[in-house]
Amino acid sequence: MALSLDRNFRLALPALAFLLLFFIVPVLALLLRSVMEPEWGFQNYAELFATNTYARVMFNTFMVAGLVTLISLLLGYPVAWLLAIMPRGLANIVFSIILLSMWTNLLARTYAWMVLLQRTGIINKALLSLGIISSPLPLINNLIGVTIGMVYIMLPFIILPLHATMRAIDPVILQASALCGAGKWQAFTRVLLPLSMTGAIAGALMVFVMSLGYFVTPALLGGTSNMMLAEMIAQLVQSLLNWGLGGAAAFVLLSVTMLLYAFQVRFFSGYADIR
Amino acid sequence: MTSSFLSIRNLKKSYGEVVAVDDVSLEIPRGEFLTFLGPSGSGKSTTLYAVAGFDEITSGDILLEDRSILGVPPNRRNIGMVFQRYTLFPHLSVAENVAFPLRVRGQDRTTVKKRVDEMLSLVRLSNFADRMPAQLSGGQQQRVALARALAYDPPVLLMDEPLSALDKKLRDEIQIEIRRIHQETGVTILYVTHDQEEALRLSDRIAVFNHGRIEQIGTGEDLYTKPATRFVAEFIGDSNFLDVASVADQSNGRACATLPDGTVLDGLSTHHVTRHSGRFELMVRPQWLAVAKEGSDGIRITVKDVTYLGDSSSALLETGWGQAIWLKGPAATLRGLTAGQTIMVGWDFAKSELFEI
Repeated sequence: MALSLDRNFRLALPALAFLLLFFIVPVLALLLRSVMEPEWGFQNYAELFATNTYARVMFNTFMVAGLVTLISLLLGYPVAWLLAIMPRGLANIVFSIILLSMWTNLLARTYAWMVLLQRTGIINKALLSLGIISSPLPLINNLIGVTIGMVYIMLPFIILPLHATMRAIDPVILQASALCGAGKWQAFTRVLLPLSMTGAIAGALMVFVMSLGYFVTPALLGGTSNMMLAEMIAQLVQSLLNWGLGGAAAFVLLSVTMLLYAFQVRFFSGYADIR
Repeated sequence: MTSSFLSIRNLKKSYGEVVAVDDVSLEIPRGEFLTFLGPSGSGKSTTLYAVAGFDEITSGDILLEDRSILGVPPNRRNIGMVFQRYTLFPHLSVAENVAFPLRVRGQDRTTVKKRVDEMLSLVRLSNFADRMPAQLSGGQQQRVALARALAYDPPVLLMDEPLSALDKKLRDEIQIEIRRIHQETGVTILYVTHDQEEALRLSDRIAVFNHGRIEQIGTGEDLYTKPATRFVAEFIGDSNFLDVASVADQSNGRACATLPDGTVLDGLSTHHVTRHSGRFELMVRPQWLAVAKEGSDGIRITVKDVTYLGDSSSALLETGWGQAIWLKGPAATLRGLTAGQTIMVGWDFAKSELFEI
């Protein structure tokens, strides 16, 4: 066993070396710059949390990520359940639609949303011609645009882990709960929800973390008033060449992600072992 | 129509062109243990699920204490059920599983606790209250499922092949448990199985299902000694069906038959014969057959093979017209038989039923 572990470790070495060289080292370098530039100390972090603009960007980032996660969860949950109880052939078709959207170029998809959401876009035109609205709705360059665009991109990442958990739930268990006297809502809250919780948490965490660092969609569909952290880091580094502050922002993002991951591992991965 | 506790009237269920249950009617008194016995696809489970309320039925009615339950959703029918697959909630402990139906009914903590204790001691699993379902054996899981289904004191308990996933020894044990629990609680049980031995062992009455219809309903003894159809005769116990060349002298429920080799048998039972001509078969249980003296009534057969089965032996025989039949008897009486031997076998012809085919 020790020998085979040793051998397997050796096989994994190239990938580990690659990660060390091109991930760990640059991240550490960035961390160092955040406490070294322009001089030693935590002044970058202090500035980040004390400056109103930066603090607002941070708040906005978490707010958008939270909102996107919540909406994705609400929309994705029924889809994942439907996929789990659908006949296999039909489920495969729905799956390929989901995957196809995932594999389409991100930029192309985001530009497509711009076409749909802009003042003279299809959605506004349709609503105007139906007489539902009298002037175009502001659907782009604001929170609505970012949320729509990101939920669309994140949905597969919540559906896939949820579906994996739900597929392991025998639908007969829900029949049993019904005969035990549980109504639809009780069956959901007492049986289906607890049994799918690991998948929901895993999916939600994935979406939340991905959303925190998202760049393209907020940059294209968002407005200046609701900038997100990734955009701010890009500006700090590219336009202002402020590596110290940019590094500090990046490190805050990374720390939050690690904390959330630790939280998930600690509280929501144990249940799978009991089964 | 006389009212009974549970009444299934002209139940019909079809899936498109396929008729799963075809005009099934049953009157079930309170406290009865009734088993639906039949091969897979015979409509026995569909009938059970109709009582549970999971499928819309095509036509007919189901009444519990004279009230139709068709419009009542499963969760309000107050019926207990144990499924073929393991259906304990995997995220809840044994005690929490049994408490589940009581909690969703909003019962208070002390009542629930008391009832859970009672139920667990009924199925003899009091020491397992804090275990998780995954830590139990299959037999223990089904016993917890039974406790869960009985916890809210349902008027009717449905059981859909609950023991089919268990091995034989465990099955025998739990059958005894189920009988005891039925006697202790007095609950009315509808039990589905394809295992005739299980049906005979557990039930007050057995309804034999075939092609969506009930072929016969009665006690195990009724079905075995007075099978109404060839299907029942074949399904309950073992049977040989001898080819019959012609039937004559039908009167007073008796007839005389000529077998393909010219042997004439007299005094055969004709309870189920409605016509005088056509093709017939004669039912002979393997246990009825016995070696007879030369010249006595019976048929001449050739011994093909003798198998020793411990307390009994069985012999594969071949009739003069080449039909294979089985004989089963105490090992001692078959000891002299050897393959290739030609002997006479006889039986009590009055027991032998003629069936139309």
